[in-house]
Amino acid sequence: MTDEDVAALLNSNAPLVVVEAPAGCGKTYQGAHYALRAASALSTGCVLILTHTHAACAAFAQATRTAHRKVEIRTLDSLIVQIASAYHKSLDLPPDPAAWARREGGDAYATLAARAGKLITRRPFVAAALAARFPIVIADEHQDASADQHGVLMALREAGAKLRVFGDPMQGIYAKTKAAVEQAQARWEETKAAGAYAELETPHRWDDGTPALGNWILQSRDALKEGRPIDLTGALPLGLTVLYADNSAAGRGYRLSDAERAPLNGITRPGSEILILTSQNDMTEALAAFWNRSIPIWEGHTRPALDRLISANEAAAGDPVAVARAFVGFMGSVATGFSPSSHGNRFVQEVSQGCTGAARGKFIHVQQLARLILDEPNHVGVAKCLTALSGFRRDRVSGFEAINIDYRSEYRDAIRLGEFADPHDGLAELGRRRSFAHPVPPARAISTIHKAKGLQCDNALILPCDRRFSSTLYSRCRLYVAISRAKRSLTLVLSRSDPCPLFKV
Amino acid sequence: MTETPTILKLKIDRFRGLQALDWNPTSGMNIVLGGGDAGKTTILDAIALLLSPSNSIVLSEADYWQRKVEDEFVIQAVLALPASSEIGQQQKFVWPWEWNGSNAVPPVGDEDEEQGAPASARPVYRLQVRGTAELEIYWEIVQPNDETDLLSAAVRRDIGVVRLGGDDRNDRDLRLVYGSALDRLLADKGLRARIGQRVSEIDLAAHLGDEAKKALEELDRTLKTEALPSGLDLALTSSQGLSIGALIGLMADRAPGVSLPLASWGAGTRRMTALQIAAASEAESSITVIDEIERGLEPYRQRKLVKSLQAQAAQSFVTTHSAAAINAADKASLWYLDGAGHIGALPHAKIARQQERDPETFLSRFAVIAEGPTEVGFLSYMLERAIDGSFADHGVRVCDGQGNPATLDLLEALAGGGLAFGGFADDEGQASGRWTALKTKMGDRLFQWQGGCTEEAIIKLVPEDRLAELIGHDDAGVAAERRVTLATRLSIEDKSLEAILAATDDFRPLLIAAATGSKDGAPDDEATKMWSRHGRRWFKSAPGGRELAAKMFALSIWPALKPDLLPFFNAIRAALGQATIADIAHDG
Repeated sequence: MTDEDVAALLNSNAPLVVVEAPAGCGKTYQGAHYALRAASALSTGCVLILTHTHAACAAFAQATRTAHRKVEIRTLDSLIVQIASAYHKSLDLPPDPAAWARREGGDAYATLAARAGKLITRRPFVAAALAARFPIVIADEHQDASADQHGVLMALREAGAKLRVFGDPMQGIYAKTKAAVEQAQARWEETKAAGAYAELETPHRWDDGTPALGNWILQSRDALKEGRPIDLTGALPLGLTVLYADNSAAGRGYRLSDAERAPLNGITRPGSEILILTSQNDMTEALAAFWNRSIPIWEGHTRPALDRLISANEAAAGDPVAVARAFVGFMGSVATGFSPSSHGNRFVQEVSQGCTGAARGKFIHVQQLARLILDEPNHVGVAKCLTALSGFRRDRVSGFEAINIDYRSEYRDAIRLGEFADPHDGLAELGRRRSFAHPVPPARAISTIHKAKGLQCDNALILPCDRRFSSTLYSRCRLYVAISRAKRSLTLVLSRSDPCPLFKV
Repeated sequence: MTETPTILKLKIDRFRGLQALDWNPTSGMNIVLGGGDAGKTTILDAIALLLSPSNSIVLSEADYWQRKVEDEFVIQAVLALPASSEIGQQQKFVWPWEWNGSNAVPPVGDEDEEQGAPASARPVYRLQVRGTAELEIYWEIVQPNDETDLLSAAVRRDIGVVRLGGDDRNDRDLRLVYGSALDRLLADKGLRARIGQRVSEIDLAAHLGDEAKKALEELDRTLKTEALPSGLDLALTSSQGLSIGALIGLMADRAPGVSLPLASWGAGTRRMTALQIAAASEAESSITVIDEIERGLEPYRQRKLVKSLQAQAAQSFVTTHSAAAINAADKASLWYLDGAGHIGALPHAKIARQQERDPETFLSRFAVIAEGPTEVGFLSYMLERAIDGSFADHGVRVCDGQGNPATLDLLEALAGGGLAFGGFADDEGQASGRWTALKTKMGDRLFQWQGGCTEEAIIKLVPEDRLAELIGHDDAGVAAERRVTLATRLSIEDKSLEAILAATDDFRPLLIAAATGSKDGAPDDEATKMWSRHGRRWFKSAPGGRELAAKMFALSIWPALKPDLLPFFNAIRAALGQATIADIAHDG
């Protein structure tokens, strides 16, 4: 379908329009322009754009800024939290469901979505009130919606809101189990069947990049969608580079021979723009070490280690030893070189013995840190401890030179949290600042595919392309998300010893 | 979906003379009755303040209950609003509550799957206005999680309140003030700016007299030499707080060629006009609040106004002291506000007849519902003697309850409504359970004969040798008619007392039967009809009741009835603040 056809369909009076939007085919452009057109036609109310990520919020905000009074953009979760917060009494939730969900972690957001969805389905007047305020709802990245989130959207449609759904089943990387992946696919098909359907098929993202690469990525999407491998046997398009390298590190690490490494060094040399994509968290840390920490890890919008730290502190309820253990755990997640054996065990021991024993060498400093926790066994003590630790590193204090911070934003946020009386309020405030600041990755960054979803870059490097990408639908989606980030050049680092089944070589 | 804004619940705490009020008014017309200073006007003021279209309101200590400013006041209402209401378009989203039939509650989420939402479930909003200890005023929306957000003047204007206050100079709805009926009717946002533009174009200086022009030029020169702003001219300039709209009002032809502001017409006409403007507005009808609906209006215009308000879908709140208005309000809900801030419904089904026949019942300070005309006359006679001063001047009204069942209904309605009232009834052996319940509630304010009616109770006690005195009447014709009723019942031609006494061994039952219009023993249908009317020849009328009371004293029956009856009159005295008496002064 041409872009014009899709735009016409969006403009139509159909209560539900579903647009399948491969990456880079102008989904944000179509969505935003439809929002602008619809907003100018609305006499009352606003257009509501619901995304799944803050990055997408930022992209839509930029594209609709001329009508910001008539277009409201937020994540679907934030809408759900708002419903849950307004009706927490009905939903058997505490007064601040957002804080509750952060504290609970795990499936807490799913619980919120389920309860809020049930409420607005059972009480159509609530959905009707929302539909009166938001007569037009645009749902972005719908493939990432859970069944309950989907239910909330459908309740809005039932209540009379015009619903415009954009999504790409090939970018559904949040479903974790095979059953969940299949259900998500089935839901997408059902949604398609329930409304008017269109498909975007012009790879605009590559217009000012490498158009041939864009076409190749679309073809690869077809292959992955149909379960075929991506054929690398013929002539490769302009912009695509395929390298071979085998990780020789044992355990969690990444190591290459000099010969294999040389072309990578060229691509990632200082001054270049490159987004290095890898499939798992531990591999991002390994890659950070591989490039000697000259390339930062893109941390996205989540702070999982910090969330765990705050929960553990809360569970500690003022017990300094438990807080010390949580601190060591946090350091293990965000940094290297502050392990239990190097510092952690002694640190906990100092706290448990009240920092009274004699200490020598680096342990004098460990004792200093421990005293901070002993004095304030909470997030404030932790923040002071992290500040002191930064000082030791800066001053090259002996025994602290080897500490490397991989997750600098998370570390920084843990320090900032010390300014807040209540750590949960602090987390909420930091999260709020983050969503307003719309941080973007630096020119050179290492990121998981998940955190890069929704981003685009000039040059991408995906490694290692090995068995980590299996032939499951989930893996195919992940690979597609990864390859579709790059506008100008894409480099795949394939493994010969542990080949990825998604490539035909 | 609600088509017009409707207040489903009103809760007032510590506002002016009302310490606490919790009220679920009905949609449509609500007439609030009540004694003086009970707080009727305060209720209307509270509604008007809550929905005030303007933020420029200055509170004073008098707005707080007992001037206790530090305790703050809160006026809260639960409203159903039309789907198109502005409330959904606030900067912060306003979440609806669920109406459970009596209050706004967070929606209940956990009922059975099949059960679904209860029938009463509909969206409502909780709005409040608060006076703080610092004499500041806040309009707020209360969300279902009890958080509050700003309730903007725009939403209040959108809901709209048309207020006809007791204040004679109040003509804001006839002016182009923000949120006034005229403003809502014209609904032209750019109007003020355009008028301001045109006004500023008027060359005022050109209209100055020569002397004035000279003075202005002189001043201009002086300012110039003093290095102050110069180049002087005159124009209309607005000052703080004065909108050009407030200067614009409706004009109308008073006489051919003479146009005058409508504000200069009589109070009644102004009020009727303001309501017509509100009704003509295209916006959803607003909530109408009218203090003393009778003000400035003759009874025929009161009736017209009440009927037109009743016919509207819009909710209205009205106070009145007019019997004509109450009489006309046959579709309105009547409420009674007592001095303690308790407001009770006067259920239409039970009071409709009384409302039609004797609307003043609801306007008296103390209504005594007497079962029928005999009792009305009997009580009037007694009250003249039992109450210090004229009982009518004290606001005591003896009302005809129109029969035993109707009296019971009415008394029950009044007991629920909280009016200060008494009851005086026969015992017909009906609905004894309800009477007992009522007696428990009313205590000495309810008097009911133990078996039988007033006539029966008194005649029973007349000494045998004086029974014939009951027949006697100032009008010999009446006495003769009474003898006819007796003779008829005995089937004798001779209507003399002697003949009657000769024809019966049981004179007393005969008297009772005739006086109460008993139909027992009537030979045919014709006679049944005739006999049932016999009572009217005796005491079944207000004058008859008075006569019966006088005879009660004259025939020395009072001492026997005193123990039963005196507490009733003492209860009325107590309600009027009069001391208990040991006896009722009487002749003979």
